[in-house]
Amino acid sequence: MTPENLLTRPPIADKLTLGCPVLDRCLGGGVPCCSITELVAESSCGKTQFCLQLALSAQLPPSHGGLSASSLYLHTEFPFPFRRLHQLSQAFRSSRPHLVAINPCEDVYVDSVHDAYQMLDIMPKIESFIESAKTRLPVRLIVIDSIAALFRTEFNNTPLDLKRRSSLFFKISGKLKSLANRFRVAVVVTNQVVDFMGESDGVNGVKVGNFGSLHSSGRRVCPALGLAWANCVNSRVFLSRNEVVVAEGNSNELEDGLCRQTKRRLDILFAPHLPQASCEFVITQQGVFGVVSANR
Amino acid sequence: MEVGRLPISASLRGKLISAGYTTFASLSSLSHSDLARDLKIPESEALEILKAASLNCGLDKPDKSNVIVNGAQTAWEMLHEEQSFPRITTSSSDLDNILGGGINCKEVTEIGGLPGIGKTQMGIQLAVNVQIPVDLGGLGGKAVYVDTEGSFMVERALQIAKASIVEMSNYTELLKKKNRVCQVDIQPTDILDNIFYFRICTYTEQIALINYLDKFILEHKDVKIVIVDSVTFHFRQDFEDLALRTRLLGGMALKLMNLAKKYNLAVVIFNQATTKYVEGSFQLSLALGDSWSHCCTNRVILHWNGDERNAYLDKSPSLRSASASFSVTSEGIRNSASNHKRIKLM
Repeated sequence: MTPENLLTRPPIADKLTLGCPVLDRCLGGGVPCCSITELVAESSCGKTQFCLQLALSAQLPPSHGGLSASSLYLHTEFPFPFRRLHQLSQAFRSSRPHLVAINPCEDVYVDSVHDAYQMLDIMPKIESFIESAKTRLPVRLIVIDSIAALFRTEFNNTPLDLKRRSSLFFKISGKLKSLANRFRVAVVVTNQVVDFMGESDGVNGVKVGNFGSLHSSGRRVCPALGLAWANCVNSRVFLSRNEVVVAEGNSNELEDGLCRQTKRRLDILFAPHLPQASCEFVITQQGVFGVVSANR
Repeated sequence: MEVGRLPISASLRGKLISAGYTTFASLSSLSHSDLARDLKIPESEALEILKAASLNCGLDKPDKSNVIVNGAQTAWEMLHEEQSFPRITTSSSDLDNILGGGINCKEVTEIGGLPGIGKTQMGIQLAVNVQIPVDLGGLGGKAVYVDTEGSFMVERALQIAKASIVEMSNYTELLKKKNRVCQVDIQPTDILDNIFYFRICTYTEQIALINYLDKFILEHKDVKIVIVDSVTFHFRQDFEDLALRTRLLGGMALKLMNLAKKYNLAVVIFNQATTKYVEGSFQLSLALGDSWSHCCTNRVILHWNGDERNAYLDKSPSLRSASASFSVTSEGIRNSASNHKRIKLM
């Protein structure tokens, strides 16, 4: 490496479609390559659904918003949802039989990671995996679902441990960004939320991005891993679900005479190329789809 | 009188004396251009006079040095020079106002804030604005953009460049009405071409690059701004030897400061916000520790004030602390649309 080689043309970030034009519009075309996009949500909001869908969309040709690429899916928590991936891939294939392989699941490489130190350890292996290009399609999507689980245990709430934890954030993020830049890969990371404790929660109450406060399931929440990790991602997207009153007086009414529905929302919290935007979405058997709402 | 001893023509001597220069001391800290203006003589002759004067001084008073020190300038000269260099606008006049007109050359300005506040947006806006032609009040220069985090998005830069061209065209139309001709025939991709983009993935690359910039700018003298976005990212990893980190950062800051002064350009470095554990609680501050905060000439902190983006001038050698609001639009950095905006002086 000579300093002269560091002068490049800024990369034109290819975008990976989410598989739905309404969602893509919110994200300016899709998830960008050469950067880290974070999906923050509480459990069961749809983070994993988004990630599985992205792993399939990646296989589409660029003319259809894909990257003609395979994906590396690193999961850190529960067993990997193989059945759901299979179900999605069948729907995916049936709607575009001429565009994808017979078994799209074969182009999704899955591995599990248990903690942050192991994550750092496997980085060189990931690099040589992508570099060796032994896969049918080049790897251009890396998913880490979820990053928060890597830091679950072994870090106490003392300043020293938090400092140790945050230097790991920067190490891991630095390596991921380096991979993203070198191989023009899109990195998608999911993160959890923690409850906002109130005034005593200090820095967690600080406004990071477009929203002063985030809400999901009727509670105020904040992304896990704190301010340090927020500095490590390029874009942050918030998924939430809330019960919304839809109509009054109906045969399926609850005691108070109101009809409720669960509405799911996607919000852009911050991104260097996107204005604030939000979008409603639903999760069906076929996947995740944006909804154009009649009224806001 | 002393000037009588100078080996110059009688007419020159006469001019010197009638202008009030009678001793060598009065000539010792003068520049030839000022002397020429004062005496209404060509600069070459003024130079001759000063040379003779310094020679004479050297001979007469070997222990006292009235000799003009190579490279030294008077404060007047420096003020004159400073005023003749336009500042780089941020595209928000409110923000420009608290900065004394914009980002200044020959200085290092640190801009810090939380994620999503608009640091990269500011960086791209400045990289575009440095290119505003001299005829339109800009520097007509190029930019060096050091991207350490991968936040520079070409599509966003093109969007900002396009908006900038529209503004310049509108201004040109205004000038045309006053019979001043000035063509703006530039494409957004041309503006992008004038941004020298470096992508850094490790702290060693960052240090190597900043060392290399001196040579690079020597070969590209039209670079008028160096932007580092962000200077912090690669230094927040584990450094077993904290003293090493402090040394590396200090060395980097010094190099950037020297670049700014030597090539008369602006250096803008972005910093991240972090929490500092002070007196039993966590407070927001900028990263890289206390020793770094001394390294920069100016410091601006971007923060949220309710739903509005604010910039607070925290440190400046010549301007008072003040706060101004701004916004990030599809066109880039602009004034805030709020009706209640005002510049708060502190």
